[in-house]
Amino acid sequence: MGAENAEMKKKIESILLKVNNPSRYIGGELNSVVKDREKVGLRFAFCFPDTYDVGMSHIGMKILYSLKNRRENWWCERVFAPWADFEALMRENDIPLYGLESLDPIRDFNFIGFTVQYELCYTNILNMLELAGIPLMSRDRGEECPIVMAGGPCVCNPEPLADFIDLFALGEGEELNIELLELYENMKKNGGYSKKKFLEQAALIEGIYVPAFYDVSYCEDGTIKEVKPIGKGVPEKVKKRIIEDFDKVYYPETFVVPFSEIVHDRAVVEVLRGCVRGCRFCQAGFIYRPFREKTAETVVSEAKSLCESTGYEVLSLSSLSTSDHSDVEGMLEAAADYTEQRHISLSLPSMRIDRFNDKLMEQLSKVRKSGLTFAPEAGTQRLRDVINKNITEEEILSACETAFKGGYAGVKLYFMIGLPTETDEDILGIVSLASKIADLWYNMNDRPKGQKLSVSVSCATFVPKPFTPFQFEPQISPVEINRRQKLLLDAARGKRYMTVSYHNFRVSVLEAALAKGDRRMGDVIYRAWKKGCKFDGWDECFRFDLWQEAFEEAGLSMDHYARRAMDCGETAPWDHLDYMVSKEFLIREREKAYKGITTKNCREGCSGCGISKGIGRECFG
Amino acid sequence: MDKYPVRVFLKKKGRAVYISHLDLLRAMQRALKRSGLPVWYSEGFNPRIYLNFPLPLSLGTLGEREPMDFYGIEEIPMENFALRLGEVCPEGISIISAGAPVHKNRDIGSAEYRAVFSGNVPEIERAFGEFLASEKIEVKKRSKKKGEITLDIKPHIKIIGTDTGENEFSADFILPAGNELNINAGVFTGAFTEFCKSMGISAEIVCTKRLNIYCQNGEIFT
Repeated sequence: MGAENAEMKKKIESILLKVNNPSRYIGGELNSVVKDREKVGLRFAFCFPDTYDVGMSHIGMKILYSLKNRRENWWCERVFAPWADFEALMRENDIPLYGLESLDPIRDFNFIGFTVQYELCYTNILNMLELAGIPLMSRDRGEECPIVMAGGPCVCNPEPLADFIDLFALGEGEELNIELLELYENMKKNGGYSKKKFLEQAALIEGIYVPAFYDVSYCEDGTIKEVKPIGKGVPEKVKKRIIEDFDKVYYPETFVVPFSEIVHDRAVVEVLRGCVRGCRFCQAGFIYRPFREKTAETVVSEAKSLCESTGYEVLSLSSLSTSDHSDVEGMLEAAADYTEQRHISLSLPSMRIDRFNDKLMEQLSKVRKSGLTFAPEAGTQRLRDVINKNITEEEILSACETAFKGGYAGVKLYFMIGLPTETDEDILGIVSLASKIADLWYNMNDRPKGQKLSVSVSCATFVPKPFTPFQFEPQISPVEINRRQKLLLDAARGKRYMTVSYHNFRVSVLEAALAKGDRRMGDVIYRAWKKGCKFDGWDECFRFDLWQEAFEEAGLSMDHYARRAMDCGETAPWDHLDYMVSKEFLIREREKAYKGITTKNCREGCSGCGISKGIGRECFG
Repeated sequence: MDKYPVRVFLKKKGRAVYISHLDLLRAMQRALKRSGLPVWYSEGFNPRIYLNFPLPLSLGTLGEREPMDFYGIEEIPMENFALRLGEVCPEGISIISAGAPVHKNRDIGSAEYRAVFSGNVPEIERAFGEFLASEKIEVKKRSKKKGEITLDIKPHIKIIGTDTGENEFSADFILPAGNELNINAGVFTGAFTEFCKSMGISAEIVCTKRLNIYCQNGEIFT
């Protein structure tokens, strides 16, 4: 214990009381792992390119942090993007970016690993590298620099970050990280290490993509001509990694418990991975395939361990679609048996409307009642069929009725604006759906007195994402997004039970361009960061004008990426990465979307997306 | 068995100094939960472990003996509350003792602090004397009812003693605390560093500690 860097600590403490929420910059939280720096051989800085409050809520970080720290010889520390007030003081006082456990500068670590959850944090990655005192470009980093790697959902199209990152980890990290660090350790031990040699060897591990070993050429119209492997023996297509036995995969026994309130301040058990649904806009639904689940027994035992070691008062059973667990009721019952007597409430963050019923609701509201959120995504049945949401209006209404009868006086509904084939009728359908839900409430005889109905409608803007059937789709123009948002607002006017919230559409335009970007986008990101862009996902920091300048100076067009319909035969920037969902399948799904034909969920029958071929077995049975 | 009140005293130092009052409340609720001690939960929609700090401590101030109240619901020896809670506290927080509260919250009248300053020690020491000799020490204070008011704190400051080290100057003092008039140590130390600045002397606050809490009748708050 007490292994923190005393000199750094003194410097940090001298500025802590001048900033907001200082406890997030000094570490020392319960269950954080402090080791003796003299006794560890490998140091890993796990960087989350957003604030502490956001990053500490991220489950992947918790898993990989604990997993690496199980090795006596490895020390993994947490690093977050400092907010502007703290960053300014760090720069003023020559405090380089440091790990929260040791307070040591991370430029002296062996690895710097970013998890990339969101396209709008790309500038934060650059900013953190610079704060760490490390050259931004992979090619400028010599032997003395840490290996800089990145993983997470966004790296399914890593090309915009290719200039800055030495290697990408594709897919699930539990085994991949260990293999990679063991390779590093062995090469160092046996004396055969150099950065180049390490990257060459690493590129042979399944799931590791070293962008420098691939050459990209472009056509005159700006599309990609070819991506060619130029490294020794590297695969033409890099395959993502998958954990075979998800029920037995490592899961942390405890979490670091922050002092300050974070976004998801609770114990979280990941109950399943992948999704059987195949909503055509949803990237997570395709890149996390195949569907795998933990047994109820495993879930409850992991939950107990977490609750007891953290003292959290909320347990979240998390996944892309928890109510799709094959034994969701048994699992909830077993979990509730434990949580209820300990005053711990249960939360199911992603619940399918068609799986919601009395029993589920009862389990969820035993200790404390939190809000109910459903995601119809589109206002009409036609459009819900286009996106393959596979829920009917009857199911939506029946779920709301169940909720109202169970004592809930409000629901929150998620929708998207700008989905392919959307018309004004679909937008107005959102309001009429809300009205029908309100009618249910007002027609209910025994509705609780003194309670006011609230139907909260939250509208995101559709962003085409790689590895989805809609990856080929253009985003509608900013003017059109704006018009449709207004249309929705106007239609909702006068309905006092309804609140409508939506995002700044310019953020979604940039998100689309970055999501579908190629390697040349690195220049844009660099220029935007140079101009002062960071925390682009935060409204108060977002500077669309600077991004526009950056695109212009780099000689690229945002529209080329965000608003151009891609030809199905065109080479996408991410086509040399294999997420085991075939392009043929995505094209098939896109065609079905235009015909309004739905696809059954994976449990009902296989639609041949390619994943079962990739894993060499049937997903179910 | 009915619920019965328990008062523990804790130390808050090291990295825990940087957690705010609300964060401390949450951290201690979680610590109580981890301890498995038989404590009382509030009733209603959102049951939580009932927890009360008779005199909240400002972020950045170290606490030597901070009271925290909750209720027990099963008969166990009082020292077990201190022992078992102490075992599960986060770094920087330790439990000194547990017992039945003797005084009521409204009995609180004052608190004793130590503030340590660094800079040119002889100059700071001289400035401190001059500061206290000023006719008035006026500070801006926020009040719930009246908004921002100007208050002369001079009559409320009681100096216990000062000490000079090689690089540091420290002062022990008592300020009014509790419901009627509450003056944070930061108000006093802030006014002093401002005073130093106006005289061209640099004085940095190294740390501020709350040493003890007293009742209006002068007894130690227990």
